[in-house]
Amino acid sequence: MDATTAAAELAALDANRAALSERVVQPWWYDALLGLLIAGFISSYSSHNTWVILIALVVFLAGVRALIAVYRRITGLWVNGFRPGRTRRAIHVFFVVYAVVLGAAAAFEFLLDVRGAMVVGGVVLGIAVAVISHWWTRIYVAELRGER
Amino acid sequence: MTAVRPHFDAVVHAPPRLQVCGLLAAVDDMDFATVRDQVGVSDSVLSKHVRQLEEAGYVTVRKSTRASRVRTNLALTPAGRAAFDAHVAELRRITGG
Repeated sequence: MDATTAAAELAALDANRAALSERVVQPWWYDALLGLLIAGFISSYSSHNTWVILIALVVFLAGVRALIAVYRRITGLWVNGFRPGRTRRAIHVFFVVYAVVLGAAAAFEFLLDVRGAMVVGGVVLGIAVAVISHWWTRIYVAELRGER
Repeated sequence: MTAVRPHFDAVVHAPPRLQVCGLLAAVDDMDFATVRDQVGVSDSVLSKHVRQLEEAGYVTVRKSTRASRVRTNLALTPAGRAAFDAHVAELRRITGG
């Protein structure tokens, strides 16, 4: 194979990935619903009731499952959020925010007995997840477009 | 990060198969119809190339039924990912990139 053919094949690959980048972006409400599901589940801990928390967990898992199905239906593909690459930055930030916010909210709710702290933590985490999910997609799109 | 050893792969090399591998390398799995639309080939042409990739152990084909419709999902295997990466590295070596 000569250099011209190889260059043409690489260019075609780049063009295909750039075209794919337009397909992978989720609608805004996807991030909003994901944030809402997280907020709802975390907030349920403020009830101090095992049944409420279990029901919230079931709703959360069913909601996430439905969101995945909707994303697959819209885009025709699935990408693991924990994939290797530059998107890991967003995942690392998510874990730090998750640990800090959840730790603080749980400490206030269960150690200092501040009722409703988990609701505040849930809302903060829900907003954080929505923002980080959107940021993750932007990083992924930039990667597909070959941007640095 | 481990450097990829350039290697020309005859299975990956054919343009439609290279494009299919390129798309699947960027995702976990993709719907058959989406791959077809992105690559711009007919169902039969894509089926033929997917079968060759499957026989080489580079692609897995998973069929599922949702709302009484059969959906076919394609995914690159670890061997397929390695072969694609090595082939792209070879293309870059040829172009001096």
